[in-house]
Amino acid sequence: MADLTEELEDESSEEGESMTAAEVLQKLEEAWLNEKFSPDLLEIKNDIVDCMLEQIKEMEENIRRAKKGDFRVGIHKMEIDRIRYFISSYLRTRLQKIEKYTAHVLEQEKARGSDETPQMSPDEYTFAKEYSENMENHFKVLALRHMPPNLQALDPKHTVMRPNLDSYVFLRVNEDTAGVLVEEETAEAGEEVIDLEKGDQLIIRYRPVATLVESGAVGLI
Amino acid sequence: MFGEKALELIKELQRCLDGSLPPFNEEGVRQVLEEMKALFEQNQGDVSATVAGETGLFAGVQLRHAALERNKRCLLAYLYNRIQQIKKMRWEFGSVLPQDIRYNLSEQEVQWFNRYNKCLANYMRSIGEDGGLDLTQDIKPPKTLYIEVRCTTDHGEFETQDGNVLVLKKNSQHFLLRSECEHLIRQGILEHIVH
Amino acid sequence: MSMDPAEVEFLAEKTMVTVVPNFNQDKIYLIGGEIGPFSPSLPVDVPLWMALNLKQRQKCRIQPPEWMDVEALEEVKQKETDDKFFTAMPSNHYMEITQLLMKYAPEDIPRADQIRTLIKDIWDLRNAKLRSSIDVFVRSDVTHAKLNHLTPMEINTARPFLTRALDQMHMLRTNTQTGLKQTQE
Repeated sequence: MADLTEELEDESSEEGESMTAAEVLQKLEEAWLNEKFSPDLLEIKNDIVDCMLEQIKEMEENIRRAKKGDFRVGIHKMEIDRIRYFISSYLRTRLQKIEKYTAHVLEQEKARGSDETPQMSPDEYTFAKEYSENMENHFKVLALRHMPPNLQALDPKHTVMRPNLDSYVFLRVNEDTAGVLVEEETAEAGEEVIDLEKGDQLIIRYRPVATLVESGAVGLI
Repeated sequence: MFGEKALELIKELQRCLDGSLPPFNEEGVRQVLEEMKALFEQNQGDVSATVAGETGLFAGVQLRHAALERNKRCLLAYLYNRIQQIKKMRWEFGSVLPQDIRYNLSEQEVQWFNRYNKCLANYMRSIGEDGGLDLTQDIKPPKTLYIEVRCTTDHGEFETQDGNVLVLKKNSQHFLLRSECEHLIRQGILEHIVH
Repeated sequence: MSMDPAEVEFLAEKTMVTVVPNFNQDKIYLIGGEIGPFSPSLPVDVPLWMALNLKQRQKCRIQPPEWMDVEALEEVKQKETDDKFFTAMPSNHYMEITQLLMKYAPEDIPRADQIRTLIKDIWDLRNAKLRSSIDVFVRSDVTHAKLNHLTPMEINTARPFLTRALDQMHMLRTNTQTGLKQTQE
């Protein structure tokens, strides 16, 4: 069985530094955990997904070429199953959020500046649009169009579901980060600012740390 | 009482909680829409009467409007939650629903289901560079469990996942991956030895 | 969002453990890194998922991790009893690893019964601590809490109740605040 190419070009990093497959796998695991525990939809990690699917494909080809009874085949298959689970579960979690918060994620995509990274992959976006049309059409045909004229529209204020960014999450600090604003100043109390130390684990509301999750300075656990 | 029919629909959803899906209540939906029509017409009447100079009708109009809003909300909630249930079944049973479930869907729900199938399939095909990925598989973390089995009949050769060839003879015992011999257990060719 | 205990176990299976193989095999190049080579009687580090698989195929003996030792665990238990904070565990997945090894390789673990009891005691001690700190946290008005040394399985056990309670409390608190503002205006 041929050995794997050790070094892989990571397309997402601008400095062009290369990552090993093992490092990309580690990134996939982190992306999976973050997506699982964050209330909102995070930026899609398409490079990681594509890279890992490519690795799986190569490995499956190697397996096909392997001799009958090769002891390593079972081991490689197990690893492939594990990685495929991470990818499927990651994309499934995202799809569930897209289905739940369809109007919200589409709104955000519309409001996004051309220089900002999209949250969704082009195919997720297509899915979101079709899903939203299908849902609206369903409401229209079965209910809305049979209602009095002044009630036929869907009021976004009442129907758009939005993630609760104030929900609590558990996190581990990956990089020292000073001056995280946890609570704005209110009538009764001053603002609350904390410093995060690498290695610390916290339970805290998601909103103040949302950008740190996206940047990787903290990871959800 | 206003909104009573709509509430019935909501109560019906309660019965979905165990994962089943009762038949689409077409009659219930029709009655709610009819009540809405009646409420709306009464309101229109009261509004024209007010314009013509009659007083004291405003509170009634407001009450009826609240009832209209409530009916609308319940009706949409009924439709939405049934769709959630149907969607769950797509992930459980695949793109073809069992006949007894399909029977309980309204015509329009079947159409929703078909469209959902299509956009889900398109999305799953798009994943990765080629071939796509079936997200309805790998629902649980993989576990490779080996189990001991006894052969109940002379079955012949069997190739294991790692390429070894075994001869499954009556009463022979083997140590196999559960996933690769599960179908033989179901067919009664192998039996699981539980110690 | 929540996590299934099976998923925490899945993560734990990535942990490296030492096995003593009974076969010869060159290095295996996994996507996650290279493993081996394997020679009979020569200890080698492999991920737990692979160790369990080899064990089931009777191709190796698993060496219990260093911490999985009666004396060492008694010390851990003592420290956990004495300290009012959570102490650092010798493994972030001590519970899952113990459960998996007890299930698939009990004959490879000396004094397995005692170890099982000690791990259960440590788990119970920490859970009692977790419950009382949750109690203090929820009663207080603080916005966040440090939970150092809590392991993923422990976090996962507390997660459903704790996050829901705190979410509700936050909602009530912000509602009273906006309510207050409105009365003042």
